Amino acid sequence: MAELEKRERYWSWLSSAAALGGVIVFIFATFGPPASSSGFVTTLKGFLSLAAPDYAEGKEHYALMPGVGSWLMAFVIGMAMGGWLGGRTWRVPVKDVPEIWERRFGPGRARRYATTFAGGFLILFGARLAGGCTLGLFISGSTQLAVSGLYFGVVIFAVAMLVARLVYRDTGRGVIS
Amino acid sequence: MTAVLLGLLSGVAFGFVIQRAGATDANEMAHAHLMLNGRIPRFMVAAVAVSALGLLGLQAAGVGRMLVLPTSLVATGLGAVIFGIGWGMSGYCPGTCWAAAGEGRMDAIFALLGGLAGTAVFAHLHETLIPILYAPTNLGPLALSDWLGPALGTTALVIVLGAAVWLIGIIWGPSEV
Repeated sequence: MAELEKRERYWSWLSSAAALGGVIVFIFATFGPPASSSGFVTTLKGFLSLAAPDYAEGKEHYALMPGVGSWLMAFVIGMAMGGWLGGRTWRVPVKDVPEIWERRFGPGRARRYATTFAGGFLILFGARLAGGCTLGLFISGSTQLAVSGLYFGVVIFAVAMLVARLVYRDTGRGVIS
Repeated sequence: MTAVLLGLLSGVAFGFVIQRAGATDANEMAHAHLMLNGRIPRFMVAAVAVSALGLLGLQAAGVGRMLVLPTSLVATGLGAVIFGIGWGMSGYCPGTCWAAAGEGRMDAIFALLGGLAGTAVFAHLHETLIPILYAPTNLGPLALSDWLGPALGTTALVIVLGAAVWLIGIIWGPSEV
C-alpha cells in the first residue's frame, strides 16, 4: 500500500524527462537556451526602471539583461502560471510547509519561511555569480555540452546533499516520501 | 510580442511539467537530496540527455540558437557552492520557486522574495565582484564539442548521463521507472 502511494504521487522520472526534454528542445528551436535566474534580473530591472531609473541604468548587471517585455521575463511568469495549472489539476495537496520539515522542526511557519527566504537569497546570489542556475547553467549548459554547466551541476548536487543532511539529519528515514 | 507569447507558452509548459515531476514539492526535493528517493535527480539528468539529443537534431537541421556560457574556475565553483547551500536549505531553485509560488506554496513565495533580494544585492556588487572572482579564472566558453565535435561529444555525454541515471537508481535505492 505504501509502495503504491509512493508510485502515484508524481510522474515517473522517465515520463517527466521525456516531457521536459521536449519542452527544452522547443525552447532551443524558438528562442535559445532557457534560463530562469535571469528572469529575476529582468523582473527587478522592470521594477527599478520605474522606482529608480538612474540607478538601474548605471548598473552593469541590469544593463546586461533585457527588461519587461522580454522572453526571459515572460518565461518566469509563464512558469508561475504553469505551476498554478499543475497544482490545481493534481492529487497531491499543496502545502505551505513540507512534511519532512514539519517532522523535523514542527509545524511553525515563521522558521520555515525565514529559511526559504535565506535559501532563496543564496540560490540567486550564487546563480548570478556563476552566470546561471539549475536551468540556465546546468540544464541549458550541459545540453550544449558546456563544461560550465557540468561543473556547476556536480557541485550544486554535492553541496545540496551535504546541507540537506545537516538540516534534516535522519528525519526522512523509514518514512515514505 | 511574439517573444512574449513564446516565452509565456514555454514557461507554462515548463512549469506544468516540473510540477508533475514533483520538482516544485520541497518534500520530494529533500528526499532526493537525502538520497532517499532518486526520482528527481534521475529525471533531471535524463532530461539533459533527451535535450542534448534533440539539440543535436536541431543543429543538423540548422534550427535554433545556442549560447555556451563561460567557465570561471572560481566564480562558477563558488557560485555553485553558495547555490547548493541555498538549495539544500530550502529545496527550491530559481525555476522551481516560480512554479511552486504559482501553485500557492507560501514557503516558495518567501524563497522568491529572498531570490529577488539576492539578485538585487549581487547586481549592486557586480562591478566589484566580477573583476575579483569571475574574470581572473575565466577559461572562456569551453564545451566538450571543442575536442570531440558535436556528434561524438553528444554521444559521450549521453553515455555518461545514462550511466549516472543507472547509478542513482542503485545508490539512492529502488525507485519506480
